[in-house]
Amino acid sequence: MNIPLWLWYSILTLLAWGVVGILQKLSTNYISAESSLIWLVVGFLLLEPFFYPGRAVLHYSKLNLTYAFLSGLLNALGSWALFAALKRGGKASIVAPLTALYPVVVILLVPAILHESVTHLQWAGVACSLIAVVLLSV
Amino acid sequence: MNLLRQMRNASWFWYSMICVLCWGAWALLSKLGSREIPPDTMQFLFTIGAVPVGLVLLLARRGKLEKSPRGIAYGVLNGVLSGIGGLALFAAYHTNGNTTLITAAAALYPMITVVLAITILRERFRPIQALGLFFAAIAIVIFSL
Repeated sequence: MNIPLWLWYSILTLLAWGVVGILQKLSTNYISAESSLIWLVVGFLLLEPFFYPGRAVLHYSKLNLTYAFLSGLLNALGSWALFAALKRGGKASIVAPLTALYPVVVILLVPAILHESVTHLQWAGVACSLIAVVLLSV
Repeated sequence: MNLLRQMRNASWFWYSMICVLCWGAWALLSKLGSREIPPDTMQFLFTIGAVPVGLVLLLARRGKLEKSPRGIAYGVLNGVLSGIGGLALFAAYHTNGNTTLITAAAALYPMITVVLAITILRERFRPIQALGLFFAAIAIVIFSL
């Protein structure tokens, strides 16, 4: 089996975020979800010196730099909306699986924006992954 | 149908939808930026994007935060690990691998959370979770083909 590089990176992401899920539970045992998000951003900031791009950043297109910035903004706004849903009486057993379906938005938009295609077998894999995240977050 | 009507009228449902849209846009924008920008710089800029939300939350609370060292430690560690996971996701998008598959694979992180919650936090194991892990495993095997 020759596992593609992108999958190794994705597995690294899912391992790190899987542990994050536990830390999230642990932190909200002691502090509110909003405070937890504030300290999460502090954690992000601790990494900044390692990723500081210096003047290299001037070489990239303004559009792509904007995408990168907006990616962080929308990610944090999404987390905030999740907390708001839970605060306004949404049951975690419904809100969590519902919000875990965010890849659907990507799947629907990719053909129009990126012109990438997926084989039938890969579609089956995507379907399994969506079923999995819903079952795991119920 | 009754449940659907209830959901439509509930503000929590619409906040959940906002969350889904924001996260969907986050994943897509991550891919679009990663076509040119390397993962470390993407993560650097991503953080700059997240800071305003943290600041608004801090202002909304008038700077008052719970003084729980444990809560704070877990929260900060949360951010460090989230950032490392984000870096790996940007790296995945930067390889030019298939965006749909990368997004679907990375979204499988609840499988690790569930396993850790059962083994470390000693949460109750439920059969539905076993079914979830089974589907997650099939997805990863298919993606690796």
